[in-house]
Amino acid sequence: MKGSNLSRLRTFVRSSMFRYIVRRMLYMIPVALGISLISFVTLYAAGDPISLIRAGKPNITQETIDAMRTYYGLDQPIPLQYLSWLLNILQLNFGKSLYGGQPVNLIIGPRIWPTIELQIVSLVIAFAISIPIAISSAKKPYSKQDVTVTSLSLFGVSMPTFWFGLILIILFSFTLGWLPSAGSQGVAGFLWWGNPILDGLAHLILPVAVLVYVSLAQNIRLIRANMLEVLRSDYILAARASGISERKVVYKYALRNAVTPAITFLGISLGSMIAGAPMTEYVFSWPGLGRQYVASTLSLDFPVVMGITMIITVMTLVANLIMDLLYVYIDPRVRLR
Amino acid sequence: MNLKINKKITKQKRRSASQWAVAWRRFKRNKAGVAGLFIVLAVVFVGIFGDMLAPYPAFPDPKALTPFYNGDVRTPPNSKYLLGTDTLGTDVLSNILHGTKYALYVGVVVTAITMAIAIVVGAVAGYFGSWIDNVLMRITEVFLVFPSLLFILVFVRVFTLGAGAGGTFNFLGINIPIGLTIVIIVLAVFNWPGNARMIRGEFLRVRELEFIEAEKALGASNKRIIFRHILPNILSSIIVVASLTIAYAILLEAAVSFLGFGDVNTVTWGQILENNFSDMRIVWWAEVFPGLAILITVFGFNLLGDGLADALNPRLRD
Repeated sequence: MKGSNLSRLRTFVRSSMFRYIVRRMLYMIPVALGISLISFVTLYAAGDPISLIRAGKPNITQETIDAMRTYYGLDQPIPLQYLSWLLNILQLNFGKSLYGGQPVNLIIGPRIWPTIELQIVSLVIAFAISIPIAISSAKKPYSKQDVTVTSLSLFGVSMPTFWFGLILIILFSFTLGWLPSAGSQGVAGFLWWGNPILDGLAHLILPVAVLVYVSLAQNIRLIRANMLEVLRSDYILAARASGISERKVVYKYALRNAVTPAITFLGISLGSMIAGAPMTEYVFSWPGLGRQYVASTLSLDFPVVMGITMIITVMTLVANLIMDLLYVYIDPRVRLR
Repeated sequence: MNLKINKKITKQKRRSASQWAVAWRRFKRNKAGVAGLFIVLAVVFVGIFGDMLAPYPAFPDPKALTPFYNGDVRTPPNSKYLLGTDTLGTDVLSNILHGTKYALYVGVVVTAITMAIAIVVGAVAGYFGSWIDNVLMRITEVFLVFPSLLFILVFVRVFTLGAGAGGTFNFLGINIPIGLTIVIIVLAVFNWPGNARMIRGEFLRVRELEFIEAEKALGASNKRIIFRHILPNILSSIIVVASLTIAYAILLEAAVSFLGFGDVNTVTWGQILENNFSDMRIVWWAEVFPGLAILITVFGFNLLGDGLADALNPRLRD
């Protein structure tokens, strides 16, 4: 038993899939480095964060400022600062916040999971709903159902993400009082629906609804457009002509080809989806990375901003890798190179 | 004499319809597209005449606070204040009307810069190919993969600090807010890669067509081929994408302002939403109506873009 597992592992290591994953991971390194360099230079070239923060507080003495600069290492030249930041990052040490010197790890750490939780739940629900809707609407283009779906999804694309959240809060929290308007969990003694698990669920519903609605509209438009193209192609005509049932034509032949471009697009749009998180998290006071990012950028807490930028970069790159692997799995014509 | 006129008429009738006339005829049949066109025209009208229609002036003007001095802070919509007053004591309807021109300013200028960069990059990459194409495409890929909103927020924050976002500058007799213009430039810089990719694709497609080959055989210069032959052929795609980019830019600016990074002295729609966010439980009307204004405007541009795509894209022609 053990031997067969080992040989299976050996074949996997020798397989093109494994080599592909390793190569893609190596490719991530320069991208992550480039992004870190660009953000670091932009932030720190804009000015010395201490004096920027100080602009609003004229009572701080010059000695205090000098002491703070030395404490945070800001008296060094920018290339040196970057190098020492990079060395620290490699040891997973994200530095100290400019407000009170709290380790950035302690600020960011607890906020990673809430963001991932929100994104994954929304992504899965959005895809599960959008595929059947898009197919049924593409099967009869310009029918009543299709027109309704396309205009509704266009409406969804036109709606500001955060505003949809505001409307949901006004409706379901303030007016009806059914769901919580902020946070990811209630305080002990004041739990929604009486139990911690249901309470977490209650807090998830509105933010997830917003993220699903937004990506739903994008997905439906995209899959429908691809489906229309595919259904027009010659091999579908050939399949129909040879008397294969319509159901089989649509679900077996057309769907695969319609979904593959959608997945490429999904990989590309993942960035914007993760970037959309700050808005949703801000509206619902969700204790995630996005909300912290907004707050720290506004208060010019550069080390925290850099830390979150790097974590989101890595998250995006990994998610893209997963998308690409999914792509290979669905479309066997794509060769791993 | 009479005969001559008749001849003229028949001649006109017989002349085959131009590409644009055909597209217009197709567009007119598309109800959603026509509705979009009407929405856009209405928004442009409000953008131009909004300052005259508004009952109160916009914020930097002290008269904007007239409702506040009358003791009408957070007044729900009534006959005096049709859309209510907000948490600062300004009239929501006036703010929305004044904000329209900023929304159009953002949409049009972001799109103009974006398309200018995208056309140059897309044309160079698509027409000349080789290593230029490779480098440009790698750059656009990084832009596309990375969550650009994060960068946009940092850049806006840093640049508005440096430039002193409060002031305005005079352009052709119009006072334009500096802070908002910085936001616009940052949005444009992060928005072009997707469009550049699209235009590159169009260039690649048209470059391979036979008439370009014929033109080359006749000895036409690269410049002539690009400007006289390829660009007019992809103009329809450019128009469609431009219309959709306007919609997207308006949405992005609203988001940036809502998150607190906008120009505080310019009452854009996003700024109204941000100002009243913390008092939302009371002044819900100051959150609902500006958002509706964004939604309707963006929806109009999207409908128009979709309608144009249907009318101009020959691949979907029945």
